[in-house]
Amino acid sequence: MTVVVSTPPTPGAEPDDYQRYRPKSKTDQWICWWSILIFYNLFGLIFVVLTRVMPPPSPHLSTGQIVHFFQVHSLTIKIGFGLLMVVIGFSSWANGLVVFHMKRMSVGSVWAYSYIAALAVGALPGCLFAALCFLTAVFRPDRNPHIMALLYDMGLLMFVGSLGCFATMYLVFALAILLDKNKIFPKWLAYVTIWQIVTEVMAAPVFIFKRGPFSWNGSISFWQGTVIFVIWEVCVVFVLYKAIREQPPRETDAGLLMRSASRIRARRGHEVTADS
Amino acid sequence: MTATERTMSPPHDRDTMSPTDEEANSGIRLPGEGSMWVFVLGDMIIFGAYFVIFMIERTSESAVFLQSQQHLNQTIGLINTLVMLTSSWFVARAVRACRAGDYQGATRLTVCGFLCGVVFILIKIYEWSVEIGHGYTLASNDFFMFYFMLTGVHLLHVVLGLIILGIVFRELRRPTLRRASMVESGATYWHMVDMLWIVIFALVYLLR
Amino acid sequence: MKALINARLTLVWLVLCAVTIVSWWLGGTAEHHGHFVFSTPVTIGVLAIGLFKCRLIMQNFMEVRTAPRWLRLFTDIWLVAFWGAVLAIYLY
Repeated sequence: MTVVVSTPPTPGAEPDDYQRYRPKSKTDQWICWWSILIFYNLFGLIFVVLTRVMPPPSPHLSTGQIVHFFQVHSLTIKIGFGLLMVVIGFSSWANGLVVFHMKRMSVGSVWAYSYIAALAVGALPGCLFAALCFLTAVFRPDRNPHIMALLYDMGLLMFVGSLGCFATMYLVFALAILLDKNKIFPKWLAYVTIWQIVTEVMAAPVFIFKRGPFSWNGSISFWQGTVIFVIWEVCVVFVLYKAIREQPPRETDAGLLMRSASRIRARRGHEVTADS
Repeated sequence: MTATERTMSPPHDRDTMSPTDEEANSGIRLPGEGSMWVFVLGDMIIFGAYFVIFMIERTSESAVFLQSQQHLNQTIGLINTLVMLTSSWFVARAVRACRAGDYQGATRLTVCGFLCGVVFILIKIYEWSVEIGHGYTLASNDFFMFYFMLTGVHLLHVVLGLIILGIVFRELRRPTLRRASMVESGATYWHMVDMLWIVIFALVYLLR
Repeated sequence: MKALINARLTLVWLVLCAVTIVSWWLGGTAEHHGHFVFSTPVTIGVLAIGLFKCRLIMQNFMEVRTAPRWLRLFTDIWLVAFWGAVLAIYLY
């Protein structure tokens, strides 16, 4: 009864044709989700093992000690941050996935854009700046020690101290979840996100102190902040998994196309029938 | 709830249940929403870590901490504690009033608790201005670093608490809302903020 | 019934205020010629009062008294662990 068409359906065509072309999978979302796992493990390998930025070396090192640090870790810094330059783009996949689900919320759209904007700005000081400074420092080993110390300070201050963008991102994320009536993400994730805002605030004094718990390698500003960040990230990974799984298939982009086709059909009062 | 409302909203929506005092006293129940308890209990652990780190840092500099402590105004600390306790008392009574159906009373009590919170903030700002006026700032020494950071992050929680009490106020005013779980959740958060101040008062002001 | 519950809340509030004043007074005793001095008894008193106040608030204001067992257990463990750690670090 139904004409089999080989070209993509046009608006107003029989709804049955849409059935054939509606993708049922969430492959794009799953690819993004897996990229989060891969990227953050790479992130850990790069920042912890290779480049020694997590935990950061101390703010109260002398210039000579700083030069020595760069000499000792020169090769692994080049490998680690060189690799980061290649893979940093994957953070955008993770953010795209989160934002996709934020747009499903009843109040998500505006804050979804803020989320992306805040992270787009935050990525430079929060991630890349340390990489660029350290790569520059080890690029010429005979560089003036004072310039090396400057690059050291700039990179690490930016890494730990770039809290404004991330605090904003956490705030819009928490607000969106709390006000969302579609219950895309669970409310407790909003509260875990608020802890992140608290840790960002507790990292603000790194610009003042070279020692103690509020310095850039301090027990509060760095260690406690990092522990809570890891908890938050793990929670987000699980929540995203659940959100992708539970998204109704009719909600995929083609599903929306189907719904609009149904509306067109209803408006035309079932005039369009299948070929006989 | 009508039949259509029931099908539209998810099952077991505790938001619309309004437990009575009898239920609360005879039965075992968790007041408010579970997600708020995640927040409160987690915050207690996070702040617990901050305070433990404070105590550890104090150990190596106990004389400095003791001397610096003297520059705090103990009386202002006492007044702030009493103000916070009173605000908690108002908010606890507001929850009971809401459960009993006395929404006018609950609203009034919430406003009283809110105003106490404002008074707390004003006193705190005054106290800070006095300390800064005497030359003691975040960078003066480790004691004042902790003093300003701990009272500062607590103040942030008080401000958040005022926003939450504002949401509770809105909840109580609208006859279509008045969900007991929302009021209870807001109250639970406020009591936690009160408790954190109790710890700060003991460790930062009084501990010798 | 309502009056009884409110009476209990008010009593808790009065007790909290009273012990607060006691702890404030206690802190004031640890001084010598106008200077603060170290005092283990005062500190133990202050910490004990702190634990007592926290427990009162949790049990009565936060209604942990009538909460499920896991919450009662968690809060009591937190109280002991936290104030115990503080005391232990102080004494060390």
